[in-house]
Amino acid sequence: MADEPVGRGPVHVSLYMGPKLARPVPAEVTEALLSAQITSTAGERSGFQLAFDLTKKGALIERLLPEGFFDPKTRVILAVSIKGTAFVLLDGLIVRQEVGASNQPGRTTLTLTGEDLTLLMDLEERADRYPNLAPSQRVERILAKYADYGIDARIIREQIPQPPREQVRVDYQVGTDLQYVNELARANGYTFYLDPGPVPGHSTAFWGPEQRLGQRQHALNVNMDVHSTVDQLTFAYDGTAREEPQARVQDPVTRNAPLLAPPDIGPLRPPLGRRASPALKRRTLTGTAKKDEAMARAEALGRAATSADAISGSGQLDVNRHGYVLRARELVGVRGAGVTYDGDYYVKSVTTNLRPGSYQQNFTLSREGLIARSGTVRP
Amino acid sequence: MDEVPGAHPYGRSSRYSEVEIGVYRCRDGTEVRYAKRRLLPRLDDAAEETAAHTVSSGERPDQLGQRYFGDSGQWWQIADANPTLDPRELTDEPGERIAVPLPGGFPGGMGGPGVRNG
Repeated sequence: MADEPVGRGPVHVSLYMGPKLARPVPAEVTEALLSAQITSTAGERSGFQLAFDLTKKGALIERLLPEGFFDPKTRVILAVSIKGTAFVLLDGLIVRQEVGASNQPGRTTLTLTGEDLTLLMDLEERADRYPNLAPSQRVERILAKYADYGIDARIIREQIPQPPREQVRVDYQVGTDLQYVNELARANGYTFYLDPGPVPGHSTAFWGPEQRLGQRQHALNVNMDVHSTVDQLTFAYDGTAREEPQARVQDPVTRNAPLLAPPDIGPLRPPLGRRASPALKRRTLTGTAKKDEAMARAEALGRAATSADAISGSGQLDVNRHGYVLRARELVGVRGAGVTYDGDYYVKSVTTNLRPGSYQQNFTLSREGLIARSGTVRP
Repeated sequence: MDEVPGAHPYGRSSRYSEVEIGVYRCRDGTEVRYAKRRLLPRLDDAAEETAAHTVSSGERPDQLGQRYFGDSGQWWQIADANPTLDPRELTDEPGERIAVPLPGGFPGGMGGPGVRNG
């Protein structure tokens, strides 16, 4: 890949831009593309940064920039084809443009910064009521409004059923749609993110537990001489990260508020390590006494599950040497880091750095326990 | 490229990755899974995003796949973009001009951003 001439190698980038309807960009724009940085994270907003070369009399600075081709709220879709198989890496909106004018010729750059399509859900604050709708149904109703941007919803029913009763309580939304959807996800221990693809112009909104099942991606090898595929890998074990939430629910008849039993986080976090990290902190959840028992238990379960990932790793790899593209929000195996930190991890976030001739990825991993559960990982 | 975990028996780089998987029920009740017939994409859809290539003697489709896509296993994309049923017909006549799809195409064409899918 690195020794191939640019344009003839196995990696090709296609860029689509436009207001709501993205179309392939003119040739001058792709020629001016210097680098692209794309971050995709589980449970947070994904972002991107594209840098273009602004030649003095070029089409970008003379025509496209004043015409508003790069204005905020312009949609950007970036697809990468590796060995003839194409996949969408980014589907987002421009938020900010910066022009760095330089005295040296060829150093003037245009930098576009943006976020993925969840930005649309964060633009206006609304107040709305959702009588007789469970959390997953509320999310479904909110996401249906964004279907004209090609967002399909994939929603998993909440782990602890919370049957709504209009006579007892009606849930209100205050704030933006994105804030409310994230709040509902946090209250159930779920994540909410947008996954671009499978074709340009479509993306999947996922509201559900982190996907810690299924086939692992190809293992990351470190400290294995010629078989090493990762440039560097560091692990950290934060002892105070994990909390044991304490929630009390008041019985409306007898008026006493017993402590809820500690929840089993297995359904949301299937164990990846053999020796689970202990919860050193005890956190009292406020405001659970006046809630329904199901809501309080869901919140305790969510808090216990999301804080369980005490072990985190971060590193850098070159796709050219690794041979595969690492995808965020899936499982991956690690080899060569010693018996304590080997095994399967959940890929929390991946930052892709694309330049002509190089394709690098920075990634962060997380897990809730030490020591691999099996002696092998998928090679 | 690698497949999404457990989504489909064929990976993303295979020409059968979009094919529907059917289940055949035998007389004795056992179920056999099979891939349904793969229909070739319409030629006029693919014609917009192709580059012409002139065949020289001794070329094979897999060499063209390696040259244009970086993977010899992707020769089927070239065969899909040309009106031929036998892939060997692609390169049997030197001097013939064949269409090579540009990399970055998606199976089933562009989804067309903005298409409503309620």
